[in-house]
Amino acid sequence: MMRRFFASLLAGGLLAGVGAHAQDTLAPLRFQSDGVFGSIDLAAAQRGFAVYQGVCASCHGMKALHYRDLEALGLTPEQVAGIAAGVKLADGHAATPNSRFKQPPLVSRGGAVPPDLSSIVAQRSGGTHYIYDFLTGFGPAPAGVTLLTGHSYNGAFPGGQVAMPAVLHDNAVAYADGTKATTAQEAADVAEFLTWSADPNLSTRHAVGVRAVIFFAFLVIVAVLTKRRIWRERG
Amino acid sequence: MRVEAKQGWLASRVPGFTCVRDMLCESRSPGAPWLATLPTLLAAMLVLLLASGVVLAPFYDPRHAYAALQTIMRDVPGGWLVLSYHQIGASLAFALLYLHLFRILLVRGYRAPAEFGWMLWVKLLVVLLLAGWMGFVLNGGVGGHSSLFNAVNAAMLLPGIPGAVAMWVFGGASGGATLARLLVFHALLALCAAWIILMAFAADKKARPVLQGPGVPFWPIYAAQYFAALSVLALVFAVLLGFVPHWGQGTQNTIPAATAVIPAAISYPWYLTPAAGLAGAFPGVAGHICAMILAAALLYALPWLDRSRGARHGRVYMALTWLLGVDVLMLGLVTAFPMGGVLPKLLGLWFYFHFLVLTPLVTMMEAA
Ligand code: HEC
Repeated sequence: MMRRFFASLLAGGLLAGVGAHAQDTLAPLRFQSDGVFGSIDLAAAQRGFAVYQGVCASCHGMKALHYRDLEALGLTPEQVAGIAAGVKLADGHAATPNSRFKQPPLVSRGGAVPPDLSSIVAQRSGGTHYIYDFLTGFGPAPAGVTLLTGHSYNGAFPGGQVAMPAVLHDNAVAYADGTKATTAQEAADVAEFLTWSADPNLSTRHAVGVRAVIFFAFLVIVAVLTKRRIWRERG
Repeated sequence: MRVEAKQGWLASRVPGFTCVRDMLCESRSPGAPWLATLPTLLAAMLVLLLASGVVLAPFYDPRHAYAALQTIMRDVPGGWLVLSYHQIGASLAFALLYLHLFRILLVRGYRAPAEFGWMLWVKLLVVLLLAGWMGFVLNGGVGGHSSLFNAVNAAMLLPGIPGAVAMWVFGGASGGATLARLLVFHALLALCAAWIILMAFAADKKARPVLQGPGVPFWPIYAAQYFAALSVLALVFAVLLGFVPHWGQGTQNTIPAATAVIPAAISYPWYLTPAAGLAGAFPGVAGHICAMILAAALLYALPWLDRSRGARHGRVYMALTWLLGVDVLMLGLVTAFPMGGVLPKLLGLWFYFHFLVLTPLVTMMEAA
């Protein structure tokens, strides 16, 4: 009986998940990692890694990650070894799966140093959505705004002037899974990848959380009823 | 050996064994409210904090604090879970202690002969605040780093013996070596907290009025109540753990201290905000330090500041006590979301005004 109940609950959840997946997630913008039941969209995060590697890695490091960690995104050990082998570290050797992500040379642009992106989603209020807004927020400066040298206008960035250039554009990368690489798609994918990297346990945490909450909710009901009964009979 | 024989064997050899056994098994007066379980729930959280802290400590590296926490979260199997236990355990321990202290204030649970127990709960608050602040610093984030920087600078200004003690704790300008020292004191304070709460339990038991009539046994009457209360706590814990593990921590301290960005305002974890607000009520470094000491001393002295003799508060003082609760809550809020203006100062000063002036005055008038 109980198992049946949970099975139907679970099936309902899965169906809802599949249904959501088939929707267009860019308009309106929605991430699979959003909300309390969210989980990392592995396909999007894999594409996001491609964007990071192809576009962002020349300026931004991700110190906290090793190449082997990418297996958590569903890449095979061979694929990971291939990715690592393609990276030439500062000492001239090729990276291995156990190497940390390659650190780009430290250069400051317009007086600002590109921040490490490992935990950037946790470090900015607004999280995933802020990263997306930031990456799609570049544009021409409104009339009356004079840009500092080396700065670009970005409506999502506090103050509007950022020392990072607009780096995403249509087909900035070629996706292996055939997804059309629009600017918005690239921004959304890299945002999902950075969400994973800031909290690699997000999916597990939510899954464990749901089970624990259901279990303890039942326990609370049973325990409170038991207490009341005992107090009525003996107290 | 029968159970009683075993207990007799232990009781005649282990000092304090009968005390612990009696605490659990003795008959009690019936009908204790749910909120009377708060100390037990707090003890459960302290046990969890100690256990998770022991697991985490060997993985911690004071010289690379931020990186060490990243390693625990990402590379140590189950590390993220234990770290969450520790962080959420701290949050809930403070929540339970604040609730318990406020409840004692409301029911006048600090009056003789319970004043010794009250003083122990205040000591526990002081110890946990210190340990909590050190935990905040040990994270290796920007917020903790600048808070430590301020504390060390303040310590260098202290003259005489207090200055020497502060220097012994911090060891000099803040850096990785300071964190190594704080790690020791963090653990030491945790053990102190465990000891203090045991003492508080014993003191509260001594202060309980003599049982009228037969009373009710712990098992199963109170066991059922404690079990239900613990499962509520576990439910709250699970919600935090699964869905908002960083609730009340802010984003500032997730940025590594090494980036050397000095934040305009430090954002503390929620449980430190009332204390930070109280410290800010008096100007200057010396003012902050005196404010903290005064606040603890006033709480400590409450059984003597309250001049009434009855078992309950008068109506006005009851209202004032509720007002104090709101005041401390607001003080935490305006510290967490700085807004400027005089309101934060006023809220802080009200705390001192409440204990120094209103408490003796109003209770004396209501006793007359
Ligand atoms: C040409 C070098 C360069 C490239 C390529 C680059 N960035 Fe940046 N990025 C910077 C710099 C410099 C800053 C610091 C800007 C500042 O503080 O004004 C920055 C800042 C950021 C920030 C922080 C914004 C904030 O709120 O403080 C994010 C997020 C970010 N970059 C993401 C990315 C992503 C994702 C990519 C790849 C799609 C990328 N960057 C590619 C140079 C670069």
